[in-house]
Amino acid sequence: MARKRRKADNHPGELNLTAMIDVAFQLLSFFLLAIKPVDVFANLDAFRPSPEKTNVSIPSSPMIKIMVLPQNPGESGTYVVNDVALTTAQTEAKLKRYAETDTTQTILIMCAKRSTHKQLVDLLDKCAKYKLTNLSVVSSAGI
Amino acid sequence: MRKKEEPYLTGNLTAMIDVVFQLIIFFVCAISMQNNTNDESITLALAPNGVAETEKNPREVRVDVHKDGSLSIAMQPIKAELLGAILEKTVADFGGNPDAVPVILRGDMSVLHEKIQGALDACSQAKIVKIRFAALKEKGS
Repeated sequence: MARKRRKADNHPGELNLTAMIDVAFQLLSFFLLAIKPVDVFANLDAFRPSPEKTNVSIPSSPMIKIMVLPQNPGESGTYVVNDVALTTAQTEAKLKRYAETDTTQTILIMCAKRSTHKQLVDLLDKCAKYKLTNLSVVSSAGI
Repeated sequence: MRKKEEPYLTGNLTAMIDVVFQLIIFFVCAISMQNNTNDESITLALAPNGVAETEKNPREVRVDVHKDGSLSIAMQPIKAELLGAILEKTVADFGGNPDAVPVILRGDMSVLHEKIQGALDACSQAKIVKIRFAALKEKGS
């Protein structure tokens, strides 16, 4: 007598995902609360000529001399471009004009001892804006 | 006779979740360690037109100039005279080529130039003429 084969009940495959989804939401909430936007840093390149080299290179080619003067609290930076005192906006306009002529000309930035680092960075940033790349930073002996 | 119920098809996710957590812990720790190399006490000036820093050169030397004028490298306080000697040694280690050692100067925006001058003179001592001034291109928060 042939054996009767019993037909097995087929249950559809099922995974319990509740716990995993709970954890996923926990993680999502954690990262949303914990994450803080990252600062983007920039580098502003400049040359720092050694004292001996500065003496040699100054007379060799025409260059733009910008002096960074000390800043009084609450005032915008003051710069002296080729012996003419200018405000920040005027200096920017001057740099724009220089860049329209030649972006490779040498700019000698002379920082007064009491000027802030922010003033130097602002000036370097303006030079970067107009693609003026040949920048030298020296420290002024006075002030 | 009552039919015997077959168990539902289940997957054991314990091992996978363990691995996922291990990975999360690893990345969270690695990211926070990387952030610690930058001194958060220094307020950098904004330079929206500067070239964005995309990758770090393993040879670069980051010199921090704090508000009070003190210098540090990798969060370790250092004197200007010693900085010059360290830079000279670093240049010598890279075949005496000063251009092979990029120096990034991270100066606080309010620090006076006379304090920055110490770090710049140390670079001159090591014959390093190309200096990178660090700034903030975009503020995150």
